[in-house]
Amino acid sequence: MIRIAGVGFLNAAPLMHGLESDPDVELFLGPPAEVARRLAEGECDVALVPVAAAANIGEIDLLDLGIVARGPVRSVVVAAERPIEELERVLLDASSRTSVILTRLLLRRPGIAAPPHEVIASIEGNVGGLIIGDPALEVEGRFPHVFDLGEAWNQRTGLPFVFAAWAARRGALTEAIVARLRRAAVEGLAAREETATAYARARKHDPERYVSYLRDTISYSIDDAAERGLARFLSDAAAAGLLPPPDVRVVRDRSVPRRPSIDSLLTRAADGGRLSMTEALRVYREAPLFELGLAADAIRKRKNQPSVVTYIVDRNVNYTNVCTTSCKFCAFYRPVGHEGGYVLSREVLGQKLQEVVDAGGVQILLQGGLNPALRIEWYEDLFRWIKATYGLGLHALSPEEILHIAQLEKLDVATVLTRLHTAGLDSVPGGGAEILVDRVRRAIAKAKCTSDEWLGVMRTAHRLGLRSSCTMMYGTVDTDVDRVVHLLKLRDLQDETRGFTAFFCWDFQYERGTRIAPGDHGTVLYLRTQALARLVLDNVDHVGASWVTQGPAVGQVALRFGADDWGSVMFEENVVSSAGTTFRMNAAGIEDLVHRAGFQAVRRNVRYDHLGTPA
Amino acid sequence: MRSAAFNAISDKVRAGERLTAGDALALFEEPDLLALGALANEVREQKHGDRAYFNRNARLEVTNVCYASCNFCSFAKLEEGMPGAVTLTVPRAIEALRSKVDEHTTEVHVVNGLHPGLPFEYYEELLRALASAFPHAHRKCFTAVEIHFFAQHYRMSVRQVLERLIAAGLQSLPGGGAEIFHPEVRTRIAHDKATGDEWIAVHRESHALGLMTNATMLYGHIETFAHRVDHLLRLRELQDESLKLGKGRLQAFIPLAFHPDGNGMQKLPGTTGVDDLRTLAVSRLVLDNVEHLKAYWVSSTPKVAQIGLSFGADDVDGTIVSETIYSAANKKAPEGLTVDDLVRLIREAGRIPIERDTLYNVVAEHPRAALEGQFKVRERLQGRHLQVVS
Ligand code: SF4
Ligand code: SF4
Repeated sequence: MIRIAGVGFLNAAPLMHGLESDPDVELFLGPPAEVARRLAEGECDVALVPVAAAANIGEIDLLDLGIVARGPVRSVVVAAERPIEELERVLLDASSRTSVILTRLLLRRPGIAAPPHEVIASIEGNVGGLIIGDPALEVEGRFPHVFDLGEAWNQRTGLPFVFAAWAARRGALTEAIVARLRRAAVEGLAAREETATAYARARKHDPERYVSYLRDTISYSIDDAAERGLARFLSDAAAAGLLPPPDVRVVRDRSVPRRPSIDSLLTRAADGGRLSMTEALRVYREAPLFELGLAADAIRKRKNQPSVVTYIVDRNVNYTNVCTTSCKFCAFYRPVGHEGGYVLSREVLGQKLQEVVDAGGVQILLQGGLNPALRIEWYEDLFRWIKATYGLGLHALSPEEILHIAQLEKLDVATVLTRLHTAGLDSVPGGGAEILVDRVRRAIAKAKCTSDEWLGVMRTAHRLGLRSSCTMMYGTVDTDVDRVVHLLKLRDLQDETRGFTAFFCWDFQYERGTRIAPGDHGTVLYLRTQALARLVLDNVDHVGASWVTQGPAVGQVALRFGADDWGSVMFEENVVSSAGTTFRMNAAGIEDLVHRAGFQAVRRNVRYDHLGTPA
Repeated sequence: MRSAAFNAISDKVRAGERLTAGDALALFEEPDLLALGALANEVREQKHGDRAYFNRNARLEVTNVCYASCNFCSFAKLEEGMPGAVTLTVPRAIEALRSKVDEHTTEVHVVNGLHPGLPFEYYEELLRALASAFPHAHRKCFTAVEIHFFAQHYRMSVRQVLERLIAAGLQSLPGGGAEIFHPEVRTRIAHDKATGDEWIAVHRESHALGLMTNATMLYGHIETFAHRVDHLLRLRELQDESLKLGKGRLQAFIPLAFHPDGNGMQKLPGTTGVDDLRTLAVSRLVLDNVEHLKAYWVSSTPKVAQIGLSFGADDVDGTIVSETIYSAANKKAPEGLTVDDLVRLIREAGRIPIERDTLYNVVAEHPRAALEGQFKVRERLQGRHLQVVS
């Protein structure tokens, strides 16, 4: 059985001819990002992926069959009402990273990610839109100015452009797979006219446009010229910091290229270069502790004032412990109707908030269980009251809670976030990310939102102008591969939105009352994981030390392994403290510890602006 | 941002040259903790590869009555009859140990207060009783401070004391009571027990009689880095002499982090994680003639001890069934760790757990982690550490 993943676009159909009905093939068709995820997470043997995704995964072998444009491509275009030179902004359909990167390389204009339907709807005046795939063919002729990216690439470089190719992990392209894919292509190329005609008829479009597209516009073989075009694209993108240095090769013979050494990977990352998934995994597994730490420390110093470690005075308030999710690692929640369930009254909350104000606090972190008794109006009232009475920053409601409210109210996430934002929400905490690999999420909490849902809430929040943090809780049933995949998902979203302020990670803290086996994961693994995150998340400004889980002594050491932030002065931390971790610290204690670790402690707000050192 | 001095020192270390007091001080003051750790780790891996040692031991205090008045000790000035004062008869001591010693225990570790009212024969009897009750467990008993006290109190020479105790079954000395040798510090925190010179004299004598011993340093209170350096150099000098003689020697050095709670020095801040690791690393680099360095988990917490195994340490001490001196002062340290705990602690630190006896004979080698995501520590050539230019 060969497990194959491919995209459902028309231009890919000739490469997949007959695979669907082959009993020896398990075929999955989905959007490019999902196909790339399957390849990265080992859920398929070979996948038709955009070349940027292949470079991001790293150590990929490409078969010399793919989607190639030798001139105009027609299905990847920037459309506009005005000439391209006059555009001020370009909205990007972010579903294809390859096309987004190509746009950035060719058109040096600010780009803004948006969903495909919004892109087309927003093209007006000096705002253009990047349209990809079948929608691009459908709007052909509708806009007066069209900038064809295939054509532009060809004009600039004199080379073909490879959009996607069959890809497998290095060495995994077996003869059986190669033979099967070649047969599909031979049959598919012969059937292009029928394929295009059937496609057009199903949509009541003019078949000729589609036939010429498949037969004359797209080419399917990655010959020497196409391979040079591919290499040029990947290295230009790497030079612009948009992709890791290329570690993909086109397989024609069986030569094995040398892998870069761990030292060279660390040096590249320390210099601000990008690591692919495979490279990140090698670094995680093989780099000596100190060298990993030194590279992370170099990045910390470049991204931040080297002598400063920030912290925030805030308070974690858990407004309710009633929750319908019952995550296996959570000792905090009570099911609906349980006698130990609570919702904090205004009185109790008010007292807590006043204490924060009195202690010089600037924000609260407000999180809770998924309590079906609390409606969106409850949150809106609460937020308005907190803002009006205490003027504190509101870092509130993790994606899980936002989704819960959306479901409860039958509203979409954007509406919920907009309403809460209007009521006073300032930023979204990155909790509940756990590991953004659904196999892991299902194992630790069946009812938890999926990775895509979690990322979707963050994407929406960022697009509404909210910032958020991001986190990773490892050490349940996750593997090192899962952790690296998690970091890459965060990095991809950050490329799109730039909305994440900081990253925190910690290992699962066992306590009686949770339903996951005890397991200490060790502080060396913590330091390695945090340092790795500092290397991989090259587009995130801050990394925080999780001293609450690792202890203050290890927290101090973590400041040498890539962290530039000490998190918050905590009054209480229910989700963690009911799991047995009871470190607490006041502002003076934090400043002293940070100082004795060799740094200057500076207060910050939730956007990481420095607030100056208190007297 | 490592200093120029550091680069010169690392060249010396790699050339196998001995570090001076100035070098040691510069290392304590080196801002680049990771560079320091990496250098200590190089030496550690040269000596021990990926091995990290632990043992199965049981501890006992037969008496906590002490006439001395060390500021950091909760036994200070405890007299017979005061609340909390305990002195066990020999049979009771053996009974107390029975619950802690099993057939796998390789060491009993006995240290006590300086009891002014017991006859010397009591200690001889204790050793003989230990030998007959637990013949398989090595007897590591009495700090140099106690030995020195015995000599004074019972009017014997240190040598006579040692000879009589050896005859009764003493097999090695623990490293306690060293604190900080330098009189500027010692007179302020431990003025009425053996001086630094006297402590060293006891170990010198013990080595001459063929005993193996350990040495400690209690740091992180009122001492300066210079005092720590002085302490390390005195030990290195002692070890030079003992190695020349070729009988007993210091086996392991154990830095002990000072904990401020529950004793007469509560106002001091205690140590930091950074200081704990720095002290391990400098100790590893300065004590070039001492084979083993312990990241004593009771003192530094298991979390820091794990990292310590990359900052020069090759040993985490033992399962330790009870540890009153520390647990009186630091409630965060767990009561004892099981063999499984220690094996896991070491594996998670990326090392190979080796169960040893007191003399560092291998009792059992536990396979390296089958843990997912374990990291290879590569064989590294000297000086091939990454240099990040910033
Ligand atoms: S972790 Fe959050 S969502 Fe999961 S059970 Fe606990 S409170 Fe509910
Ligand atoms: S440290 Fe030793 S000598 Fe000092 S008071 Fe405590 S038991 Fe007595």
